[in-house]
Amino acid sequence: MEIPILKIEDFLIVSFQTELSDDEIDKLREDILDKIKETNARGLIIDITALKIVDSFMARSLSSIATTATLLGAKTVVVGMQPAVALTLVELGLRIKWNIQTALNLERGINLLREALKSEKDVVYE
Amino acid sequence: MTEKEEFVEELSGLLEDNATELKKQWVKEMTEMGLLEKLSSLEIEQQSTAIYDTCVLTIKTGMYEAAKKYAREMAKKGVLEAMTVDQIIMGMLKLRDVYGRFIFYKYQKDVEKLYKVLGVYEPVANRILSIVALAFVEEREMKITDQQQAMLTLSTPVLQIRDQILVLPLIGTIDSARAAQIVEQLLNSIVDTQASVVIIDITGVPIIDTAVANHLIKTIQAAKMLGADTIITGISPANAQTLVTLGVDLSMMTTRGSLRSGVKLADEMLKLVVMEKR
Amino acid sequence: MSEDKLPVKNESDIISVRSFGRNLAANAGFGIVDQCRITTAISELARNAVVHGGGGSVTIKTIQNDKKGIEIIFRDEGPGIVNLELALKGGYSTVGGLGIGLSGAKRLMDEFQITSSAGKGTTVIIRKWLK
Repeated sequence: MEIPILKIEDFLIVSFQTELSDDEIDKLREDILDKIKETNARGLIIDITALKIVDSFMARSLSSIATTATLLGAKTVVVGMQPAVALTLVELGLRIKWNIQTALNLERGINLLREALKSEKDVVYE
Repeated sequence: MTEKEEFVEELSGLLEDNATELKKQWVKEMTEMGLLEKLSSLEIEQQSTAIYDTCVLTIKTGMYEAAKKYAREMAKKGVLEAMTVDQIIMGMLKLRDVYGRFIFYKYQKDVEKLYKVLGVYEPVANRILSIVALAFVEEREMKITDQQQAMLTLSTPVLQIRDQILVLPLIGTIDSARAAQIVEQLLNSIVDTQASVVIIDITGVPIIDTAVANHLIKTIQAAKMLGADTIITGISPANAQTLVTLGVDLSMMTTRGSLRSGVKLADEMLKLVVMEKR
Repeated sequence: MSEDKLPVKNESDIISVRSFGRNLAANAGFGIVDQCRITTAISELARNAVVHGGGGSVTIKTIQNDKKGIEIIFRDEGPGIVNLELALKGGYSTVGGLGIGLSGAKRLMDEFQITSSAGKGTTVIIRKWLK
């Protein structure tokens, strides 16, 4: 199934609405990275509010999307993780491997990216 | 009918026939010892009759169910409020004495028979006493378990002190069950209030061991995944030393000495300025 | 008591067995966090069975003796795990994963048993009890 990738200002927003199979996640990763290149997005927000489970495969995929997106110039924030999911991930043993920026909700995520980009611009243009 | 059964019947018959007199003697002796001070005369009459009858029934039938049931009821109903466990056991010992003396008196002329009747009576009397004592111990234990459960569910309050700041004051010993409950509650509060900074104050936690430290670390990591930062405040010098000695990795903890400085740091992180009103 | 044997052959099976597991756990009375732990453990083991075991099957059922719980048994007839000790330690992966499938599932559940022998496949039994 096709997952829409939305663009607001300089950012891309991807919202996971259903559980995805491993193949679909891999496909989505390709789509996101293509879109970043295509739009020159400076930021990427992945909304996982609707996900009831994030297993190690999903965590690894999110992590690799974040790392690659950052390499392509889009700072990545994951927003909306459920408390039970966070606790389970910690217990699963992901403490070292999870190095993705997070925010409580979409709004905070956007603010976080704006702040980060603003300080970047300050350095470059003034 | 065996000889033993005959004795049982004879003895219980005697105890039934002399019930009024023996009960009176028993109550009198208990009153003299000051065991019944808090009971009304009606209560004394009802309770002593019930206990007396239950004991005779137990001697007669050799079935302990009635005694067990009664002892349990007694323990649960909290005759305790008017009588301490000590007083109740003393009272039961008195009843045994009253029966014992009565048996001596009845069979004093026939020592051989006295010996045999006592052989029937003593095990039953001892058993009744142990049943009563046990009922109270069990009741106590149940109460303790209930209280432990209550303390667990009493739970630790999560306080929202600013729009985006939560404070979790931890007090008392933290075991695994409590830690798990605290973690869940805190994470849910973060999402409910959309708080981005959490201050965990551990001034009231007497001992921090590796297990507690691991729970703290787990909490910090999970909160971070939701998008909230955690500040730990109130680590005592002794606890800090223990943690270092245990080799707990504290590098990922943001700590401050007091709750006050923790709140200050949280304000800074959120770029909040608290000013005096002019 | 409900018992069902479900196939774990491909990636879409992973999603269906874990949603089956979640429903069973929810009906058994597990809270949100435990449901998440159970579902995640199922997901890890199901992926192991598909990726390493060449596919297998899973039985998910509620159990009751003096306490109530959920029991999940994964069976595959794949190559087996050669170095079980290493695989359980975590951080070990033959396919470039995070290598926390087995050890992670073990941490999320109350009981964990695994039998595996080279060439004969792997059986993993996990249980979680209602507190």
